[in-house]
Amino acid sequence: MQNDEMKLQKRKTGIVSLDNVSEGGLPSGQATLVLGQAAAGKTVLSLQILARAIERGEGGVFVTFEESPAQVKRDVASFSWGEKLLTSERWQLIDARPRFGAEAAGEFDIEGLLSIVGAAIAKTHANWVVFDGIDQLLQYQPDPKVAIDQVRRINDYCESKGWTLLLIGKAMDESLAPAHLEGIEFLLSATLVLSARVVGQQLNRSLRIAKFRGSRHVADELPVVMDDDGIQLPYHEYLPTAEVVASNERISTGVSRLDKLLGGGIYRGSSLLVSGRPGTAKSTLAGSFAEAAARRGERTLYVSFDEIESPYVRNLTSVGINLRDPIDNGLVQFVDLSAFALRVTEHFLTLRRLIDTFDPHCLIIDPVSALLKASGAEGATMATEHLIDLVRRRGITTLLTSLSGVGDPEGEATQGQVSTLADSWIVLDYNVRGGERNRSLSIVKSRGSAHSNQERELLLSDAGIDLADVYEHGSEVLMGTARAAKVREDAVAQRHRKLEREQRRLDLQRQLEQAERERDLFKAKLDLENAEMAETDQLEDSFREDIRQRRDPEQENPDEPSNLDAVNDKAQWQ
Amino acid sequence: MPMLILFITGTAPRSQRARSNLGKMLDRLNLNDVKPFEVDLLEQPDQGIEHGIFATPSLLKFDSSGEVSILYGDLSVEERLQKFLSDLD
Repeated sequence: MQNDEMKLQKRKTGIVSLDNVSEGGLPSGQATLVLGQAAAGKTVLSLQILARAIERGEGGVFVTFEESPAQVKRDVASFSWGEKLLTSERWQLIDARPRFGAEAAGEFDIEGLLSIVGAAIAKTHANWVVFDGIDQLLQYQPDPKVAIDQVRRINDYCESKGWTLLLIGKAMDESLAPAHLEGIEFLLSATLVLSARVVGQQLNRSLRIAKFRGSRHVADELPVVMDDDGIQLPYHEYLPTAEVVASNERISTGVSRLDKLLGGGIYRGSSLLVSGRPGTAKSTLAGSFAEAAARRGERTLYVSFDEIESPYVRNLTSVGINLRDPIDNGLVQFVDLSAFALRVTEHFLTLRRLIDTFDPHCLIIDPVSALLKASGAEGATMATEHLIDLVRRRGITTLLTSLSGVGDPEGEATQGQVSTLADSWIVLDYNVRGGERNRSLSIVKSRGSAHSNQERELLLSDAGIDLADVYEHGSEVLMGTARAAKVREDAVAQRHRKLEREQRRLDLQRQLEQAERERDLFKAKLDLENAEMAETDQLEDSFREDIRQRRDPEQENPDEPSNLDAVNDKAQWQ
Repeated sequence: MPMLILFITGTAPRSQRARSNLGKMLDRLNLNDVKPFEVDLLEQPDQGIEHGIFATPSLLKFDSSGEVSILYGDLSVEERLQKFLSDLD
């Protein structure tokens, strides 16, 4: 119980990403120092927090020491949440700008300010208080120590009243305190630093939690995007969720022979990088993947950088890939973006919002390397890392293409670490040989799959993509006409060999048949001879018996019948 | 007709010092007929918003042309105070 009371209480800012990186919001009933250069977004941040608080039914008081109330209202009106804030009665805007030409003749207190804010809070039941630019007032304090004491006084007062205060001040160079208030960062339990730097002619905003006493928080400098919705930390909108379950389901790339090489397709929820030089059919492969997804009834978010929809779709039609129908029936959402138009973080935010609204099964970014052209101090690595992390967590099967240079298959993809992050990587290329250019495809990696290590020839026709086995000739692989010529040559030779063999077989067959016919003939002759010989033998036997009988003195003439009987009788008696 | 308003907060030491410093200076400048108004922001916070006064003590001066000037602090810097009041006579 006591522990709970001692524990730091936080109040949600309502800016989801800020609540994520601060693990629950800003210290409740305490002051948070918000520092930044001009145009870093300090005022917007505090107004946005107020707007979100008011949406939740809380209230606030905004005390401006620097901008006019009209200017503050104009700031508010330019955001999507502005209208609601401007018409709400649960907040009060107090103009506390020091008068022009004011001077100081000694030290002063800020009890009056606290009393005025207290009265306003009593009316609006507020729990948020913003002091925007209090350094404008405190700079009149002759002794900086007194000014710092007064910040402490403000902090203590807020704590006693339970107000959550945002104390906004201008950052001076590397210092963590506004001018004239050096040291207040040690007094307060939390400090946010906003910065705005010009890199590559573009303004890059960032936010850093420089201090958060007693609380875990993300301490990195976080890229900020400011758009109609106000300040966003695009990479921190979502907390890492529970373990992602790895799917064992394979889905088709739309090219059945490629699926076979990949061991049945790519895993659902995995990412595939297709890199290659211009004209190596990266987009065609991407289109084929989207078409296959549409055939399965799945939604695909198709993001094209620097190439607009209608020529893109037309070009795919010429190689037999129909994206028009899936676009028309809503299975493919085609989005063309201009890489140069936005900073890399803004592109990430755009992509994330598209993913949020369309909730696709598959995502294609053609080419992801275009992101590298977009400027941004934070670089493309962060965007691609977060993008791949996001799609992996959402289970979105992703195909990214990347442009590479001559003799540099990894090319730009490696700059964004895409080739390291992607689960599978296919390199498309062409071989120039025998006066022609032939496209080739090889699988560089495919996590969790036994995959072919062979380079294949990629064939494009009006029926789409197909792969041909390359022809190995010694240590070379042959493609295109060379492959076809070699294949033909070999086929002719093979046909020759086959015919020769057949001829020989027939010859032997014929010889065998002839031999069999002769054998039959000889056998017939032999049989005949045997029969003749048997007959001859019998005749000779009976002739010999006849003679023997004729020569027997006891015998009568065997030609007479009585004698024959006598012979038989004798045989009986013997 | 010039007018002075001294904004204070209760019995805060700086507020009391300002009241005393202002009285002494008005004496010294023979401006005894100038009677400064006093506004306690602890009791009348709305007056602070109306006049744009958030630091106490603060001395607000409306001169005859209606122009408003302000001097922050406990008025312990005499020459500043004297200069501030110089056009009242």
